[in-house]
Amino acid sequence: MMLLEIIFYSFASVLICASLGVILFKNPVYSAVSLILAFITTGLLWLLLEAEFLAIVLVLVYVGAVMVLFLFVIMMLNINTEEEKSGFTKIAPVAIFLGLVVAAELIALFWIQSEQFSGVASLSNSDLSSNNTLLLGTELFTKYILSFEIAGFILLLAIIVSISLTLRSRKNVKKQVARDQISADPKQRVRMVDIKRGGS
Amino acid sequence: MLTLQSYLTLSAIVFSIGITGIVINRKNIIIVMMCTELLLISVNFNFIAFSHFLNDLSGQVFVFFILTVAAAEAAIGLAILVALYRNKKSISVSELNKLRN
Repeated sequence: MMLLEIIFYSFASVLICASLGVILFKNPVYSAVSLILAFITTGLLWLLLEAEFLAIVLVLVYVGAVMVLFLFVIMMLNINTEEEKSGFTKIAPVAIFLGLVVAAELIALFWIQSEQFSGVASLSNSDLSSNNTLLLGTELFTKYILSFEIAGFILLLAIIVSISLTLRSRKNVKKQVARDQISADPKQRVRMVDIKRGGS
Repeated sequence: MLTLQSYLTLSAIVFSIGITGIVINRKNIIIVMMCTELLLISVNFNFIAFSHFLNDLSGQVFVFFILTVAAAEAAIGLAILVALYRNKKSISVSELNKLRN
């Protein structure tokens, strides 16, 4: 039991430091790498909560896909980081005050009425942990099948939207245009000429 | 003893860090989107913690859908960002006033 607490507190401190790094680094690449560290740590903490499938999915989807997308966009946009150092300190006290107020409210909410939460904690036993992926899949494909289909449709929508937003047609590039090729009319292209027979 | 409150407190701290990051940042939309990801991950943390301690699998199913929608949101947001950078050559938050006038 002591081992679990050591794991929890060490990964929790890493998670907090990584998420502070996301907002404090000047260079967006460092922020993205710090966010990757935060995601991996969150996945490890979810393993502690016996949500094995979602921990793996978090690492695969977020670190493998979304953060790579973020890094691609950061490197594609070529932002000069020197300009960003100005204008950072003016609003910073307000932001820090706001964050402290939100944190204090939430934490006070959890710890003032702690008897309700301790009642919740006594319910826990390891019934769910037998085969997390099997249980989650059974739940997903029976009870939540309509939501699952809608989620797939949302992903399809995301593909179409992001392609149509970023697609651009360049001028002066030699390429085939299938529409023009199909709609070509032979009467306009080929002119039939009668050739007179030679007079010899 | 790891109780529900330890997990909830951790996710509350991450949530407030995300809110601070959104407010503190005036120059870079990418950082704002990363802070949105931080907020989503802390909310997912709450769902998983409650799912574990209440012994109910619906929380994990909900986290699954939140992850799906968040991935779609990140893709569309970055596409909008690329289109915006092509038009304005800048991704600063304080210069986004094209809809004004």
